Amino acid sequence: MVMDAFIEGSDGVFVGACKRGECHYSSGNLYAEGKMDLTRRLMRLAGINAGRLGMRMMSSAEGNKFTEFATAFQAEITELGPLGRSEGISKEDLAIKLEACRRALAGRKLRWVVGKVVEFKEKGNLYGEVFTEHEIGRLLEETAMDEYRLREILERLKVKPQSVKTLASETGTPAKVLLRQMADLRKMGLADIQELDGDSAVWALAGNGKTYE
Amino acid sequence: MSKRKKKGSGDSRASGDGPRIGVFVCNCGTNIAGFMDTEDVAGYSATLPNVVFVRENLYSCSEAGVNDIKQAIIDNKLDRVVVAACTPRTHEPTFRAACKDAGLNPYHFEFVNIREHCSWVHKEDRDLATLKARDLIRMGVARSAYLEPMEPIIGNVVERALVVGGGISGMTAALELAARGFEVVLIERQKHLGGLVKSLYEIYPWGEKAADYINGLASRVERNSKIRVLKACEVTDVRGYVGKYEVTVSSGDETVVAGIIVVATGARPLLPEGMFGHDSRRVITMLELEAMLLRSRSRRKKVVLMGCAGARIPGRFYCSRICCMTAIKNAIIMRKKWKADVTVLYRDLMCYGVQNETMLVDAKKAGVRFINYSLENPPVIEKDTVTVSSEILGRDLKVPVDLLVLSTPLVPQDTNVALSKILKVPVDEYGFFLEAHVKLRPLDFATDGIFVCGTARWPASIRECLEQAIGAASRASTYLARGEVEVEPIVSVIDEEECRGCGLCVALCPYGAIELIDTEKGKKARTIDVACKGCGTCGATCYRHAIRMKHYSDEQLGAQIRAAFVKDP
Repeated sequence: MVMDAFIEGSDGVFVGACKRGECHYSSGNLYAEGKMDLTRRLMRLAGINAGRLGMRMMSSAEGNKFTEFATAFQAEITELGPLGRSEGISKEDLAIKLEACRRALAGRKLRWVVGKVVEFKEKGNLYGEVFTEHEIGRLLEETAMDEYRLREILERLKVKPQSVKTLASETGTPAKVLLRQMADLRKMGLADIQELDGDSAVWALAGNGKTYE
Repeated sequence: MSKRKKKGSGDSRASGDGPRIGVFVCNCGTNIAGFMDTEDVAGYSATLPNVVFVRENLYSCSEAGVNDIKQAIIDNKLDRVVVAACTPRTHEPTFRAACKDAGLNPYHFEFVNIREHCSWVHKEDRDLATLKARDLIRMGVARSAYLEPMEPIIGNVVERALVVGGGISGMTAALELAARGFEVVLIERQKHLGGLVKSLYEIYPWGEKAADYINGLASRVERNSKIRVLKACEVTDVRGYVGKYEVTVSSGDETVVAGIIVVATGARPLLPEGMFGHDSRRVITMLELEAMLLRSRSRRKKVVLMGCAGARIPGRFYCSRICCMTAIKNAIIMRKKWKADVTVLYRDLMCYGVQNETMLVDAKKAGVRFINYSLENPPVIEKDTVTVSSEILGRDLKVPVDLLVLSTPLVPQDTNVALSKILKVPVDEYGFFLEAHVKLRPLDFATDGIFVCGTARWPASIRECLEQAIGAASRASTYLARGEVEVEPIVSVIDEEECRGCGLCVALCPYGAIELIDTEKGKKARTIDVACKGCGTCGATCYRHAIRMKHYSDEQLGAQIRAAFVKDP
């Protein structure tokens, strides 16, 4: 939903929540905080200013705080200007990047990971290893990075088939990393080499209509 | 409004091309129309997609307004109703009932709040408030097109009440409930009933000995066959929902099952550690003075009572409500019993109510001296004198003293926060329990079936505690007497086809409202409707997108978000 708002044209999204431990829905605000954290990670990976997604916690009795936060946020976003401008991203690129974020967030992998985070922190994994905040952060960052790259490649291939070289320059990912990712996509049956252009391969979405959930 | 028959879904009207949406813009006098152009807003609403009827009402919630809505639904074959007015907290039930009466499913109603969200917060900019109202209505209309008919969920109510706290409020509530014929379990943390009142001398304004009153109350509670008292016992866990709360208590492994819960955990006076030279001998608290009066041996001749000691200061802004009257009551007692010189130092005297005001006059007649001081110039306390800078006289006054009594405010129990987490009810910024609405639902929590009374909620006099306890018992009785409860059907629905039975939602649900069941196709998650509060945690988590939130579906919220970014002409 937050990504939807950015896609629909919002320059900033403000999430207001209850204070920690005071959520009407018990721990709902903590889950929301985790999800917003992940969303910000993806925005950063996409080169979008993560400050455009603000989350503040206050109690329902603190109307003054809300006004303060909302006014400050409004000022911050006004200063940043329209989405993409302060980031130096073109309109077309922005659409691709936002869609990649949206798909990554709605995708099975990240939803599964962010859902498991609470359990990892409190009860530990299957082997009883309890993760620290730092470890969880690293895990999330790595998964998010993988997932985001993959989604962006798919989005870009959807626009037009292209070589690893052009993809590398467009996504800002080293060609070496990209190549490995392309091999993964091929294994997953999501993308394949369409033709050879000179000595570089042109990649396209696989023709089997398979989508990555 | 005692119609209990269930009308049909009302969706049959949704024939033709699209939904037929009616928009009602409430003028509400100065409240809304005073700060925005409701006529413009109504005119704009008529241009929105699928809107076939628009009306500006003076007071939509009045009988005339509600009848108008009902008639419009029938005359114009409306199948969605959008009311742009105030907060759903107060009038959503009113308008839902109107829809129902006109044969429409009550959940085909959408509330847009143009009072709190527009006119109240943008008082300084009429145009801005009007524009925002247009935006919000456009979003509400967009969502309403996707609303689905729903039927309320009916649950049974266990005819037993749990009262937490055996002070004056808790005991009164318990007796009231028992008198109505309901079973009550009363839990008290201490080894004996009575609470704070047990340590007091006399009750103002009627002058009864506190011990007589509270011991009488306690023995009536102990003798009552409907009331079971659990002493030296605390609530450790609460599961369940209105009608059937399963409460684990600290004494042994017993679980109390109760239909409703009343919170009456009381408050405690602030201990003035390190403040004003408090030493419990020459500088004491009001509570310590009560104990001194009870013992009646020790007498002092030069007494100074100081109000607002630790109250109405930065960090603790509130007035403790009871201190002025308690000080005046004790001043009169000390004048009479000890023949002492009594001076009351106050910042503001708040003796609300006729009897309390009379008490103040009596105190003045009895020769009690009153001196005003300010926060900026607090009294200077020395060994034998208190120097106070009088606001009225504009000079310093030296008052001889051999006993200084500090009126410290009531502060929340330290256990409130823990209990609030167990009960899943809120506390305010100080730690007092926070009611659902200060005027409209002062004794209810937002959570159904949990009530609050007495000083657990806010400082209150004994009389106010009694009133609140009786009130809370009365509110609770409405659930217990009915025997069944209607729960909002705003719950999650799990698509069994998509569900893989991974159990992630079961682990994350804060209410234990999802269970894994064995089916022919393996384990599947299923929502326990009455326990579900519709928070959406499961829906936002399911990696297969197999969980849908009723009334807040992706389609409904998506439509609202899309509409937010439509350009307003």
